[in-house]
Amino acid sequence: MNHWLEFFVHWASSLGLNYGFLLDAYPRSTLAQGALTTLWLCLLTIIGSLLTGLGLAALLTSGKRALAVPARVFIEVTRNTPTLVQLYCAFLVLNMLLNQAVGTANPLTPFAWVVIVISLHKGAFHAEALRAGIEAVPAVTLEAARSLAFSNRQLLWNVQLPLALRFALPSLINNLIDLVKMTAVASAIAVGDITYSAIMIWTQSDNVLELMILLLGFYGLLSFIVNCVGRYLEARLRMPGYGH
Amino acid sequence: MPSIESVVEPLVSLRDVHLAFAGNPVLKGINLDVYPGQAVSIIGPSGSGKSTILRCITGLLQPQRGQIRVADTRVDALTREAQRIELRKRVGFVFQQYNLFPHLSVLQNLMIAPRKVLGRNRIDAEKDARALLAKVRMEHKADAYPGQLSGGQQQRVAIARALTMRPQLILFDEVTSALDPETVGEVLTVIRELTQEGMTCVLVTHEMRFAEEISDVVYFTENGVIVEHGSAEQIFEHPANERTREFLRHALGAPARRGPIVSDPYLLTNLSRYSLSV
Repeated sequence: MNHWLEFFVHWASSLGLNYGFLLDAYPRSTLAQGALTTLWLCLLTIIGSLLTGLGLAALLTSGKRALAVPARVFIEVTRNTPTLVQLYCAFLVLNMLLNQAVGTANPLTPFAWVVIVISLHKGAFHAEALRAGIEAVPAVTLEAARSLAFSNRQLLWNVQLPLALRFALPSLINNLIDLVKMTAVASAIAVGDITYSAIMIWTQSDNVLELMILLLGFYGLLSFIVNCVGRYLEARLRMPGYGH
Repeated sequence: MPSIESVVEPLVSLRDVHLAFAGNPVLKGINLDVYPGQAVSIIGPSGSGKSTILRCITGLLQPQRGQIRVADTRVDALTREAQRIELRKRVGFVFQQYNLFPHLSVLQNLMIAPRKVLGRNRIDAEKDARALLAKVRMEHKADAYPGQLSGGQQQRVAIARALTMRPQLILFDEVTSALDPETVGEVLTVIRELTQEGMTCVLVTHEMRFAEEISDVVYFTENGVIVEHGSAEQIFEHPANERTREFLRHALGAPARRGPIVSDPYLLTNLSRYSLSV
């Protein structure tokens, strides 16, 4: 491991890039810890946002006004305001109120606030993608399932959701790629993700360019992995005779 | 067959059924009886409420007034989902647009309802499904997906799918209207065999010759009312009503032919006669 690192540092220096800080244990562990934090953020917000999206889409398509209207209001407010502002608002206002109310018993860390805000924010986008999928399932296909004596629950799980998911999948993957990049806002409230770690290192030494390249490469790789998983799922769920 | 009708209870009976969509009346007092083992055809112009009658019989639509009875079930009075499920287990439905589940293979399309709804095990359900596919001559496509099949093939699979529930009655809703003339035959053959085996069938159809051939009773509807009904021979050979006569004249017969225009050089069919050598 260290051998490869030294080889890389040597090779980069021939390009005029100074990655010498990677050989120091402290900045290296800071970066590794940041990368791990970003991975956790991605994993938790992907799960959280998909669950939020599913819940909101269920409310939107429930056909009950009392459920659909609040969901619609939430989605419009959420997707029409910047994530960063929402995060500040949640952490600086809501968290402060919570602190005043319960004091040190407040269980919500900055990390938790990021997971909550991004999950809700991206959940609103997922909900719209899922709604498009649900509404694209032809009414006659549902009629066919009903005429085969499916209960509403069986119809939802065996026909409506499998088809809706296939229709919504490209949009959902699009949202998830955006979500990976969005986790960088965590650095704004000093959650030690990879962006924050990089900032901490470059404020102490003159290696902004080298860290930028690392950062971009890291986020690019993560997004690419999400993209590959999405492509794999699309291929797995493809309905022969439809699409390409 | 009036002698049979007098002793056997009808399997399906509609009495004075009224239904309106958003104030727009579609059915205006439908009376209809289907006896066990009968093939009943409903014919009539588009928009006359034929498909709506079928949807009422299986509880997909609820009439505002009138009675619908299938065996001992009062369909018009069903309120709970469980009651509708019990009804639909006994009534098959085949749609104009096939409506197979596109994400499932042909075999899975046939197995899903018996397994999920009737709770049958995989081995039995698959054995049944394969037997029914053979019956509609689609056994070679068991692993294909609906999107890979022609319209006629999809419709035969849809008929087999309805049969997997072993229904007492099958409703066919213009099942050949979306097919080209050549594939209509393969679907009609399957339906003909079903009626010969004694399956009770109600068909909404525009295939007049087919309706005449296989039907025990034919109903002619127009504008939400039954204009006339009787045996196939009676309706097709000696229609009593003027509207029935007019409809059948258009549907069955000689479309007004234009005489050939032999001397018009601009008519494409005459082109060869006037073509110049270049």
